[in-house]
Amino acid sequence: MNPFAPLRRTWAHRALVSALVRRELAARYRGGTLGFLWSFLNPLLLLLVYATVFRYVFAPRADVRPYALFLFGGVLLWGFASAALIDAAECFRANGPLLRKTTVSPEVFPAAAVGARLAHFVLAFPVLVAAIVYAAVRGSVHIGAAALEFPLVLVLLALAVFGAALGISALSVHYGDVRDLVGNLLTLAFFLTPILYPVEAVPERWRWALRLNPFSSFFDGLHDTLFAFRPVPAVDWLWMAAVAVAALAAGGAVFERLRDSLAEEA
Amino acid sequence: MSSPEAAISVRDVSKVYRRYERRAHGTLKSLFVVGARGRTRDGGVVALDGVSFWAARGETLGVVGANGSGKSTLLKLLAGIVRPTRGSVDVRGRLAALLELGAGFHPEISGRENVEITGLLLGLSRKAIAERFDAIVRFAGVEDFLDAPVKTYSSGMAVRLGFAIAAHSDPDVLLVDEVLAVGDEMFAHRALEKFSEFERAGKTLVFVSHDLGLVAERCRRAIWLERGRVAADGPAGEVVARYREQVAAEEGERRAAAAGKGKRVGSGVATLELVRLLDREGRPVARVRSGETAAIELVVRAFEPLEDFVFGVEIATVAGATVFGTNTLLEGFRPGRLAGDARVTLEIPSLDLAPGVYSLDAAVHARDGAPYDYRRDVLRFEVAADRPSTGVWSPGRKWTFSGGVRWKD
Repeated sequence: MNPFAPLRRTWAHRALVSALVRRELAARYRGGTLGFLWSFLNPLLLLLVYATVFRYVFAPRADVRPYALFLFGGVLLWGFASAALIDAAECFRANGPLLRKTTVSPEVFPAAAVGARLAHFVLAFPVLVAAIVYAAVRGSVHIGAAALEFPLVLVLLALAVFGAALGISALSVHYGDVRDLVGNLLTLAFFLTPILYPVEAVPERWRWALRLNPFSSFFDGLHDTLFAFRPVPAVDWLWMAAVAVAALAAGGAVFERLRDSLAEEA
Repeated sequence: MSSPEAAISVRDVSKVYRRYERRAHGTLKSLFVVGARGRTRDGGVVALDGVSFWAARGETLGVVGANGSGKSTLLKLLAGIVRPTRGSVDVRGRLAALLELGAGFHPEISGRENVEITGLLLGLSRKAIAERFDAIVRFAGVEDFLDAPVKTYSSGMAVRLGFAIAAHSDPDVLLVDEVLAVGDEMFAHRALEKFSEFERAGKTLVFVSHDLGLVAERCRRAIWLERGRVAADGPAGEVVARYREQVAAEEGERRAAAAGKGKRVGSGVATLELVRLLDREGRPVARVRSGETAAIELVVRAFEPLEDFVFGVEIATVAGATVFGTNTLLEGFRPGRLAGDARVTLEIPSLDLAPGVYSLDAAVHARDGAPYDYRRDVLRFEVAADRPSTGVWSPGRKWTFSGGVRWKD
């Protein structure tokens, strides 16, 4: 059994995956008058809420300034990862008729779930860029070339999320409680991941524990590249790559083992 | 069982669907406690049991059988959607499956976008879809609705579009499950034409249908599945005839059990003790052949002597349309006296009904129509015919041709 076979098949069916992603986006925005504008409006409103709340309601963290920008980047990226995993847990249920009635390769559904969320993130990304530029103009951050490393962080995270999505999607067909479990673990992980706080806020002797959370290094990478504008340390790249490969191998192995039964059980 | 020309060969295939005790609540606990694989050992539902058959290239193979006999499972195995538990399934060439037309359609997006996605689902390349796009749209007749979301389509339009995409995906092997049942007459006609095109192009067609007339007519060979096994495999006409006989026999038993459960009204002064359909030898039957002699027999019991009585029968379609009705008054019999038990037989020398199931009403009533015993739907019977036809009347008939008309064989 090749745990990377699902990845290979996804690649072979990339045209279908991209069509499914476009279908998902088109279906989501059709019907609303503002359409695709919501991709910008949603994150923009979120940013405004943070900026307002941490200015007038709560005191922002003193160690990361501007805190609203710090928080916004993390929350956007977290939004991608968590929504993709939750959608993955639902994808076979949502596509049951297709799975049972056509000869489609089942990998395409978790792939499309992750792809659609990634597309949402990419559509919202200009808002983050605008916020960074605004902060730079006001002198709150100093943009550096390290920002160009972010796409690689995103790619590695997307691969890791896809690996996990493969496993979660296949398991959720057989075990109804996977969806709830995933939702709750994600809520917990949100607080255990450096999103609300920087890695530096964690005492030195507990950093290793943070490392055990597979999400951590990616968000650390986000903060390095798009907030502090310093290059990602080599050890962090290795860690991110290792998480991505491990997730793909583990998720792929689970998927491969359950693959034949998906059409029967979904 | 195999041949070098076989497009499809199925060897000793069994399919057991796992049945979980609480499938809907399959929990993670079961994974950790027994392991995912261990759960298969608690028995299961046998959908197919040792099925073997093959289909040659260019052959149209019909599959008939009752609901639950394994037809859909067989198609899913051929399509590769599910794997056999045992045995092997070998399909040569590109395959397209029409298991549910428009299964891949997303209601919120346009017909145009759905065509592309469905094409990709069927394994077409983007380029191939673009090339065939116009032909697909023309076949489906949805030119004016291409950019409207599919949820605004009528069900007929969606079905036509689904069929058009699959039909234009240029498969070597086409699996068709009961798709003709969903469209209107016009669609069925175009679909059948398309199937003929496939046959002429040397494609292999596997055709599952409850429309036995269609199977007998369109398919050279047929297999009959019963409870997951091949009950018959041979020329379509023979297989269909055998299947029909079996169904009729089972129906007869069921009808006998259900007889007399129809609506019954009347004063009860006289009652219909028995209503039967007899064949030409006088045997009670549930099925007769069109054009043969049949008789309706009533056994009547009068609980007091009557001087005002009429016997009547009426044949109707199961949908309720009257096909034929008569009674002794209409036919000029003037009642004298009815006492005790009596037997009334109406013989019909040539029952020229079209194939189908019919319902019989029988009554004994007064001349003014006041019922003594009026039994609606007292029995149902099937009329079988060698030649299919539409409507309810199937007279003896003969075609003659002359001049510039020729028929193949």
